[in-house]
Amino acid sequence: MKNGLLIFSGAFATLALSWAGVVLTANNQLGSLTQYKDPVDDALYPAPLTGLANQGRLVYQDLGCVSCHTQQVRRAGFGSDIERKWGKHQSVARDYIQEMTVLIGSSRFGPDLRNVGSRIPDADYFYKLLYNPQTKFAGAPLAHGMPAYPFLFETRPVGSVQSSHKAIKTTADGKEIVPTARAQALVAYLLSLKDSYEYPEAKPFVATEKKEGGH
Amino acid sequence: MARDRAEQQEIDASAKWPVLVFFGSALLWLIIGGALQLAASIQLHTPAFLADCEWFTHGRIAPAAQNALVYGWGMNAGFAFALWLMARLSAAALRSAGWLMVAAVFWNLGVFLGLAGILGGYSTSYELLEMPSFASLLLLGSYLMIGVWAVTTFSVRNTEKVYASQWYILGAAFWFPWLFLVARLMLSTSPVNGVVQSIVNVWYVNGLLNLWFVPLALAAAYYFLPKILGKPIYDYYVAVIGFWWFAICSACSAGSRLIGGPVPAWVATLGSAASMLVIAAVVIIGVNLLGTLCGNFAKAQKSTTLRFIILSIVGFMLAAALNFALSVRSFAEMAQFTFIPELRDWLLLYACFSTAMFGAAYFFLPRVTGKVWRAPVLISTHYAATALGVLALTVGLVVAGWKQGHLLNLSDVNFATITNEITPWLTYRSVALMLLSIGHLAFLINFVWIACPCCSPCTTAATIKNPPEMEAHQA
Repeated sequence: MKNGLLIFSGAFATLALSWAGVVLTANNQLGSLTQYKDPVDDALYPAPLTGLANQGRLVYQDLGCVSCHTQQVRRAGFGSDIERKWGKHQSVARDYIQEMTVLIGSSRFGPDLRNVGSRIPDADYFYKLLYNPQTKFAGAPLAHGMPAYPFLFETRPVGSVQSSHKAIKTTADGKEIVPTARAQALVAYLLSLKDSYEYPEAKPFVATEKKEGGH
Repeated sequence: MARDRAEQQEIDASAKWPVLVFFGSALLWLIIGGALQLAASIQLHTPAFLADCEWFTHGRIAPAAQNALVYGWGMNAGFAFALWLMARLSAAALRSAGWLMVAAVFWNLGVFLGLAGILGGYSTSYELLEMPSFASLLLLGSYLMIGVWAVTTFSVRNTEKVYASQWYILGAAFWFPWLFLVARLMLSTSPVNGVVQSIVNVWYVNGLLNLWFVPLALAAAYYFLPKILGKPIYDYYVAVIGFWWFAICSACSAGSRLIGGPVPAWVATLGSAASMLVIAAVVIIGVNLLGTLCGNFAKAQKSTTLRFIILSIVGFMLAAALNFALSVRSFAEMAQFTFIPELRDWLLLYACFSTAMFGAAYFFLPRVTGKVWRAPVLISTHYAATALGVLALTVGLVVAGWKQGHLLNLSDVNFATITNEITPWLTYRSVALMLLSIGHLAFLINFVWIACPCCSPCTTAATIKNPPEMEAHQA
């Protein structure tokens, strides 16, 4: 090859091919995906995130939770996602259309969180987990390899009347540990993570058997 | 011949300041990125490490390390190497050193602000695009200022032939801004809908590694092997097929990172097919490079540059093999969310690309500065630490990933057990990373000696000394 222009146009064509073939085709297919209207109750799925949960998504993003947690459930028979009860059905593209930032992740150093809101519908559990994952819970730490997030909590003197109903614990010297607004938003986001609705495309494909003696 | 040599010295000298500025900043980022990476690695087996400080929580420090190594070390080192090699192969002096240095300042400012953004909590959470938008704008702007000079040097070339290394450099110079711009536009400026974001993201990550870092490593291998061994590339005529085949297939192979994910099945299938087809290009490139090396191994071992280049070729092949395995569905089912894909990317960035840059630097830094390396013991330390570190880290992550993937797929094994099982291997990884850091420090000390104008007197002997075993073949 002697011709600079040939190299340049070839390089252009190469990336153009992959851009058009992968990215634009996928965008064409999925870019206009809309909510699904349930034929029975006429409701639209998936529902948008609530305001607080959406703020929590930003906290999830800024703390880099995606480094260790995926948010995608693989189909039954491909990995143990369904057996581990990470979801009742596989995740499909439509599950994500309401999300401003799609955080499917690529590492499972920690468990998948796609349906953590329906698996553990307990805000208090998450506060304890975030404050100190090494807290014993049923004899074992809540999460073994997870860092603590003490900066999402504030320690303050118990008010004159009574302690805050949000306090996760009161220390011996009369102080209480209260989740900050960011912790509350993050937990609201985690609780919102549940793909309750099974879209037709998420149902496993069942091959219809050939009729006996059919031609 | 004498005129040739004088000309070559002039060209090397024209690249002196840009090369030193880019490579010097690259090395600083390598040290910073290595330290951050080590800290992030320690956090995986000792979660309490630095956990109290919000800026250094694992979710921030891990992407910050990755970005420092990719944009700080990798791209700066790539600029230094590519600008120098392009000037040499085009037999044209590098122009506008001043512009390049302004661009270098802005590029490094962009990396610095981007890292501060990630550590300060403004991460976008898209892999390798975590930097906030304002930093990307700086990066893209300064990249254009740098890339344009590589292309300009090429277009004013005084040579007839265009050599394989030049194809790879030109390709890389052109592919990065497109990948980067498109990914930023489709993710941050006007975000695409739903999982198309994930597809754009893997397209970018795959493109950055395979269409920027790998081509520069291959450019180095194609240049230094014949140069130092004094024989042409074996079966050179197939190199052009290898180049296009590699470019086309690896550009389309992104989807294999999404096997089993919430994307249409064709995305993963196309990606897997392309990932498997890449192997043909790897074989062709392997024939070229290993064929040249064949029979000259002892001679190659005498050159520091070639020892690193051989390491880089091994890294390239290992990464290709691992990528092939990861695009097979049954293997991906076990390995895809473990440390094994992380290892594949690390092999591309470090074992393939970084080692090639180390080798190249041992060759071009004495030539652009006109000095000799001060401490041979530091060079051996660097090489030994790199070779051992790469080996140790590869073994460690394969075992850790294998165990992790196997246990993840057994639904009755709880997470605490998995974490306990892989913790020793993660500790071992931290040790391997420390080993690599020792090598980096040794290299940095030697670099300071050779780069600092006041450290050692400029030896004319070294400038003129062009020992035949170091530079036998006129490419």
